[in-house]
Amino acid sequence: MNESEPAKIGPFSRRTFLKSLGTTAVATAAVQAQTMAAELEKVNAEKTIGPGTVPVTLKVNGEMLKLQLEPRVTLLDALRNYSSLTGSKEGCDRGTCGACTVMINDVPVYSCMKLAIEAQGQAITTVEGLAKNGKLTKVQQAFLNRDALMCGYCTPGFVMSVTALLRKNPHPTADDVRHACSGNLCRCGTYPRIMEAAFEASGVAKVAINKTEVIPYA
Amino acid sequence: MKAFEYATAHSVNSAQEMVADNGQYIAGGNDLLGLLKEYIVDPKILVSVKSLPGLDRVETGSKVWTIGTNVTVAQIEDHSAIRKTFPGLAQAAAEVGSQQIRNVATVGGNISQHSRCWYFRHRDVLCLKKEGDMCYARHGENKYHSLFTGNTCISPVVSNLAIAFAALDATAVVQRAGKPVRMSMAEFYAKAFENPTAHNSLNPGDLVLKVEIPTTRTHSAYMQTSEKHEFDWALVSCAAAANITNGKLSNARVALGSISPVPHQVDAANEYLEGKTLDEATVTHAADMILHGAKPHEHNGYKVPMAHALIRRTLLKLNA
Ligand SMILES: Cc1cc2nc3c(=O)[nH]c(=O)nc-3n(C[C@H](O)[C@H](O)[C@H](O)COP(=O)(O)OP(=O)(O)OC[C@H]3O[C@@H](n4cnc5c(N)ncnc54)[C@H](O)[C@@H]3O)c2cc1C
Ligand code: SF4
Ligand code: FES
Ligand code: FES
Repeated sequence: MNESEPAKIGPFSRRTFLKSLGTTAVATAAVQAQTMAAELEKVNAEKTIGPGTVPVTLKVNGEMLKLQLEPRVTLLDALRNYSSLTGSKEGCDRGTCGACTVMINDVPVYSCMKLAIEAQGQAITTVEGLAKNGKLTKVQQAFLNRDALMCGYCTPGFVMSVTALLRKNPHPTADDVRHACSGNLCRCGTYPRIMEAAFEASGVAKVAINKTEVIPYA
Repeated sequence: MKAFEYATAHSVNSAQEMVADNGQYIAGGNDLLGLLKEYIVDPKILVSVKSLPGLDRVETGSKVWTIGTNVTVAQIEDHSAIRKTFPGLAQAAAEVGSQQIRNVATVGGNISQHSRCWYFRHRDVLCLKKEGDMCYARHGENKYHSLFTGNTCISPVVSNLAIAFAALDATAVVQRAGKPVRMSMAEFYAKAFENPTAHNSLNPGDLVLKVEIPTTRTHSAYMQTSEKHEFDWALVSCAAAANITNGKLSNARVALGSISPVPHQVDAANEYLEGKTLDEATVTHAADMILHGAKPHEHNGYKVPMAHALIRRTLLKLNA
């Protein structure tokens, strides 16, 4: 915060004044050249972009994606429609189903409720980025072993939520799994198997493959 | 979504300057993107407040704790010191949406979020809140609506954090016209009680900086009832906070959410609780006082006994 700096410089606001100066003009200005340069840097950082397309660089699964996007494009659309990374699914596009879940810096978020430009400079992991050298992760393998899917549309989202949970809490209880996965919906209703897969992946408990529901829902 | 300009503010002054008359702040974006996708708001520019310096921290203190506007709901849920000192706040945070939402949702965005009334959220319905000429909920589907209001709109406050903050007597610090203004939670929402077009008392350009919580009350609790066990809005929520010495309450405060456009608080009930022992008779009487004058609509009468039970349970939970 800059309580000390004047909000207005003559008829101009600080921003419009600085914007109207070129870098050279600032550098040669007699008054506090250093402060002004620092200011200019800040104003540039605050520069208004859009509504047209702007360059956006996303670090997805360790690779840099260079895109041209309007500020209104969500991360989910950037992945699916501008980069062919269709592993993250679009269900509701309103933050209510979890199909679009990705990790940003190891934390699960809804990519449909995040603007792509705001995901720059962070490590984004989609379901495509989990398996290394063709080898599935423990969580992915557990979903397979437990047959924890029917149509599979919700699966990438659940895999991301369970993966994030186990990174934060390697030995979850059933309540922990429910709390962590409550933001993912499965229309086919494979919840008991997803629970089993989460436990298998965490190695917490030996869970038998059951034909019927065994998870006690309090 | 319509196209918009975008900028990241690095100082409070420039945030307010850039947002001007036709812009909107964006923090986590959970609420705002929903409104944009339904064409309910139409800002020329979104100004991100996430890079404002110093507003993403929880600062502890002997008298007051400060929570910056950009602290996330997940940070509050997981903060071990908050869980110990203000358990009611941590419990309220843990019930916000889902893990994915809590990870990005901010404190400022949570208390400033807009109405969840389904008529308001429908892109084709122009109700009073959107400066149309009638409230559709009053004669329509009002299952999720208020029992109290001071105007025609019956859309309730749904922010979980606001309810916990109200019980803890927290103060929001808001930058307005070049100066920080301090508002109790009652003041932060007062305008929504009077004015059908308001969601809270913020004027255009007002920027929430932080929330301050006094350490006065040593006990706090939050409970809500929803249709689903997890990841659902509260049908009714309740927070309570107090000191308990030798089994006697002092400084007690109770606040309810989802039954009024403001966190519903009744001063007389708080005063009644002073010096009382927490028992079934006390909490029942307090609940009667708090719900006195409730005006249910066609579909939300169930909220009265639900709120009554929640007040009793939440107060008794203070003893736990
Ligand atoms: C599916 C779903 C479920 C949800 N469930 C719950 C729930 O159970 N309980 C609950 O409480 N909430 C819930 N929310 C609502 C809410 O979106 C989040 O709780 C969140 O906290 C909003 O914060 P944000 O940072 O994402 O806000 P944003 O969307 O960024 O902002 C919300 C509003 O606040 C304004 N704003 C943001 N920061 C500031 C600031 N510093 N000063 C002034 N104005 C500001 C924005 O302009 C905007 O109008 C839910 C949302 C969704 C989509
Ligand atoms: S309750 Fe309020 S927001 Fe809902 S229809 Fe009525 S006026 Fe609109
Ligand atoms: S598509 Fe993002 S939560 Fe449904
Ligand atoms: S397997 Fe079909 S939605 Fe979950």
